[in-house]
Amino acid sequence: MDEQSRAILQRTLRRLPSKKTQSTLRAWGCLSAEQLEDLDYTQPKWLLLENVIFKCEESRLRLKDVTKLEMVYYMENPNQGTWHAFKLTGAEDEALSVDFTQFKEMFVAHLEEVVKHVSVRIKKPEDGAVWIRIAWGDNFTKPNHFKPTYAVHYLQTPYVFILNLTAKHKPYLYQVTSFYLFIYFGHIFMSFYYYYYYYYYFYICLYESDCFYRSHSQALVLSTRYVSINEAHLTGRSLAAMRDLLMKQYQQVFPNQERTLKERNALPSHPNIDREHAEFAEGKHQMACEAFGDGTVPKLETAVYKLETRYRGSSNNTLSDRDELFRGVVKFSSPSLLESLRHCASTGMSEGPVTPLLSSITQKGRNLFVIAEKVPGSTSRTPARKT
Amino acid sequence: MMGKRDVQIHFRLNWRLLAMEGRVSAAHTPANMPITRRKSYGRSCVENPSLFWQTPGHLTTLGHRIPTSRGAARSQNIISKVDPEQVALLVKHEWKLAYVTPLYQFRHTRLKLYSKHLASFIVAEKQQGLAVEVGMEAGLKVTISTVLGMAESEDDAETVFIQIHSKPTFGADDLKPVWCGWLTCVNGDREYLRSLPPDFVSLPLFCSSGSEPLTALVKSWFERTFDCNFGPLFLNSTTLNWLAALWTGCHPSSNIRYLKLSWTMPTQPPLDIMYTVNPQDAWELWNSIHAENGEDDRIHVDEVLRFMNGLETHLFRHFKIYLSAGTLTKVSTFLGSAHHHGKIKMGSSDYISTLLTLLTECALHRMPI
Repeated sequence: MDEQSRAILQRTLRRLPSKKTQSTLRAWGCLSAEQLEDLDYTQPKWLLLENVIFKCEESRLRLKDVTKLEMVYYMENPNQGTWHAFKLTGAEDEALSVDFTQFKEMFVAHLEEVVKHVSVRIKKPEDGAVWIRIAWGDNFTKPNHFKPTYAVHYLQTPYVFILNLTAKHKPYLYQVTSFYLFIYFGHIFMSFYYYYYYYYYFYICLYESDCFYRSHSQALVLSTRYVSINEAHLTGRSLAAMRDLLMKQYQQVFPNQERTLKERNALPSHPNIDREHAEFAEGKHQMACEAFGDGTVPKLETAVYKLETRYRGSSNNTLSDRDELFRGVVKFSSPSLLESLRHCASTGMSEGPVTPLLSSITQKGRNLFVIAEKVPGSTSRTPARKT
Repeated sequence: MMGKRDVQIHFRLNWRLLAMEGRVSAAHTPANMPITRRKSYGRSCVENPSLFWQTPGHLTTLGHRIPTSRGAARSQNIISKVDPEQVALLVKHEWKLAYVTPLYQFRHTRLKLYSKHLASFIVAEKQQGLAVEVGMEAGLKVTISTVLGMAESEDDAETVFIQIHSKPTFGADDLKPVWCGWLTCVNGDREYLRSLPPDFVSLPLFCSSGSEPLTALVKSWFERTFDCNFGPLFLNSTTLNWLAALWTGCHPSSNIRYLKLSWTMPTQPPLDIMYTVNPQDAWELWNSIHAENGEDDRIHVDEVLRFMNGLETHLFRHFKIYLSAGTLTKVSTFLGSAHHHGKIKMGSSDYISTLLTLLTECALHRMPI
């Protein structure tokens, strides 16, 4: 085992939760049944890890086996770092019928066409997701397995979730040698960086490479038979929550839906007053649930609104009349954002009905918004997108 | 009632005098004694401690004088007055705030002696009751020094800075800073300061940075030695509003880069709303409310409230959330940040005195009367 494999193996093993070590090693499947039997899982973790590493060296495991363990670890513990959602658009007729083998063949073929030094692993666990691990290199260096990008695509859906794409790839952005990578995921980078920073250099690259970009295939887009990939403006730590939100896999409430009044344990005062209160509270609750879902809702952490609108404060202020924009960023954060917002709306801490800005989180499955207002003569650099 | 109190004060003073004369060269405390214990000196503990710890001085006059207007923040080249190294220390850390009642028989000339006593006190507390000889503490170095030039008016006492370094037992002589804190008074209420009896020094604002247990030990030593009392200093929304307005007003002379306001809504789970306003736009809003008028630029509290209300209304028109249901928890700009829980950070030394004047005033108001 070389240095790199050993380091990655150690890092992955160290991250494994103690309780799950045994099951993860079994799921990995690179150690024989006897070797697994030999291990004593009651040992202190450091000792156990040394034994595992010893057994791996014994079986002459290689880098690809080690990266497989890392993938298994990520698949079992996906809530690491910030995931970014992307949406594939412009489906061709075949898009919905692409199966895993087809996808895998096409993906690898398309990727190898554009990038030389890149290492890709694709795995498909049972839940219909395809996990892709990409270690990036460039023309002069081998793929860096320490900072892989993970992409999760649910077949037959237009969604892709990507991990470790931002900070880790900043160096690539400044290297012309990494052009190919950048063409490959160019679209993603573009929309992403457009949103956060203004890398002018980057734009120039993009436009120069436009012809390149068109003539070469985008592996992911083509393998899925979609036309393009766009940022879905949704980020979060929980992969499952983001998937549930986008695929509407949570308890939704619709306006015409009859919901039974819940019995309340309040002291009986006057039945009419009670009923009126209950109806009022129920109405608010109904409204909150329509906007943010009922029961257990997907666990999002943040929602960010970039406001580029006219000043809407007190009406007698001179600022209200001028054409300039009043710029700012509003960030909502909570351990479970949708739950907090629902509670906020149902307890009367916000004025009803729920503003479309907030209900768009569930309606559109996004948590990054740019709220821009068209103003003559303003110097807004972001495209007007009034939500 | 009064007679009883007099007797106790006498008793306490005697104890204090003994300590001052250095006869008690070894600080020792019984094992298992909680550090935060209030001394009762034989008096019933049922009584309100804040009444019991009353300090001479016409504190009652303060309660009615919450200022409704303030001078606008003015940039000051503090480095020309204060040692730049000391200023750098103040700017670097995040400080936890507390108020301190006036110190009895505190002398700026005895700081060296105090450092030794504090060091032996800390070591003694850590050793749970074993006697320690002053000056022979292993592993700890306490430096108490004066920061000259921080005081603004002639009634302000000079700021006192305390640093605790740990000395490694073996090897190199490098001192590692483990704790620091300071007591200050900037533009304290003149009438109040003048009403104090001559033996008292008022340094009402205490800022600390370092581990909680060490902070507690330092406070406990001050409480025993100078017969004072510490209490947490929370920053209410009025103070935070003032800071937001004062800092925003600085924008033309010193770029504030951003104005961040954070609210916490009492939802379940709690919802944090952070509003980052573009500095130029924030200043324009402020400028539309407050017109500068030459040298003696006063800001009225109504203007501050209108400014904050303007920002809150702007948010409300977008999100329909009543921010008044929550609490304003944090205000920050490049010049500094202040947290509701009594934590501050100074980003630039230019406007230190404005911030400290406001905090000194808060500390004086928070003191038990």
